[in-house]
Amino acid sequence: MSKPSIPEDLLPLTPPVFHILVALCDEERHGYGIMQDVARQTGDALQLGPGTLYGCLKRMLAAGMVEESDVRPDPAIDDERRRYYRMTPLGRRVVRAEAQRLANAVTAARTRRLFDRPKAGVTGGV
Amino acid sequence: MPQSLLMRWFCRLYLVMLYAYPREFRLQFGGEMQQLFRDRCRQVTRTPSLWNWLRFATQSAADWMSTLFQERMAAVREITVQECASKTFQIVRTVWSAGRSTQPRGFVAEWAMTLIIFLFATTTLVQAYVVPTGSMESTVMIGDHMLVDRMTYSDPGSWGSRLLPYRDVERGDIVCFHYPEDVRQIYVKRVIGIPGDRIHMENKQVVRNGQRLIERYTQHIDPTVEPYRDDFPQAPAWNTTPRGREMFWNDVRGGELVVPPGKLFVMGDNRENSADSRYWGLVPRDYVVGKPVFVYWSYDAPTADFESWSVDHLIDVATHFFTKTRWNRMLLVPRAQPAEVAP
Repeated sequence: MSKPSIPEDLLPLTPPVFHILVALCDEERHGYGIMQDVARQTGDALQLGPGTLYGCLKRMLAAGMVEESDVRPDPAIDDERRRYYRMTPLGRRVVRAEAQRLANAVTAARTRRLFDRPKAGVTGGV
Repeated sequence: MPQSLLMRWFCRLYLVMLYAYPREFRLQFGGEMQQLFRDRCRQVTRTPSLWNWLRFATQSAADWMSTLFQERMAAVREITVQECASKTFQIVRTVWSAGRSTQPRGFVAEWAMTLIIFLFATTTLVQAYVVPTGSMESTVMIGDHMLVDRMTYSDPGSWGSRLLPYRDVERGDIVCFHYPEDVRQIYVKRVIGIPGDRIHMENKQVVRNGQRLIERYTQHIDPTVEPYRDDFPQAPAWNTTPRGREMFWNDVRGGELVVPPGKLFVMGDNRENSADSRYWGLVPRDYVVGKPVFVYWSYDAPTADFESWSVDHLIDVATHFFTKTRWNRMLLVPRAQPAEVAP
């Protein structure tokens, strides 16, 4: 399988893939951790089921956006059945590009006055 | 308590549902998906309400159905039989649209279709089967009604093996097969030896190819040691059948049984109460019907009730259905387990 190294080739991302990458921005997480974080990001609007989550992870692993982490966190809370996932540099570039794309779309929508009242925080991009 | 029972049920159901995914995907992520599902269940249990459970169930079902299709399609693309698949798809679509364009299918056609699919499914894909004896007890109980997957072990020929989930019988697999002494009966046992294996027993412990096995799935109910049963293969016991004796004379060399090509050596998990290969010989590979997929109903009744059909049994089921059904065994998956090797 050829791995595209230009992030733009992988855009646009599907919502689950985008949110999974955002969840992995700061730290490595296991499947359930990703699912919880995605629910938090979207205010419970997007609940990833096991099939969706691992289907996405499979394709993201194949594309080189994420990788399996061999670093185990705190052994006290660790569960050896869980596998942790980490974002690769390519994954970071991809999610930045996607966030920029979305920000551009939001800006375009704002200039056409599609929002009720503008918020300062949203235009910031990445 | 009912919450946790519900949760256990959901988890088991999900385990069975996982089998619908392609094998590769299941092997890579199945364990984690199960874990995630269990975590989600626990999360719902913390704020239990009918609404929450319903929402969770619908979400999971939708997730399962959509990703199932996606992964299956991906798997087909990966086997590089794309042309073959698209050809088949075209044919199916042509046949389908031909039927559709003339007129909507009527009631009779609908039922005929269902019947054909049902007959096809029950004769070639799966088969229902009830366990009448306790020889596999601790793993499979008397009165377990199981669905048997008939495809996995049936050699589909050189081209079919690429499409169908075929694999050969391995050590530790649980298999259903025609009982060699009476092919009308179907037995379920665990495979201990495959062709080429050298097998003997020392004080209830199986030694395979010189390695002592630790078999966590077995059950021992009788502490006494019988020479033939527990130190197989000594001189045949009184209850060794002619086929068993034949095996003893032909295939035992230097105190060990050497499994010949095309045969399997099988034993029940309930070692002291199991009539198996030790007594009636080896199972020809062609006699293997399939592997048990899951228990769809388990009913607590004696052996005789399941061996032959009786009115008494029907009345018993009708009056004691809820109390004598072993609800906790429902949707249980009997697992193939490789034995560990003792150091």
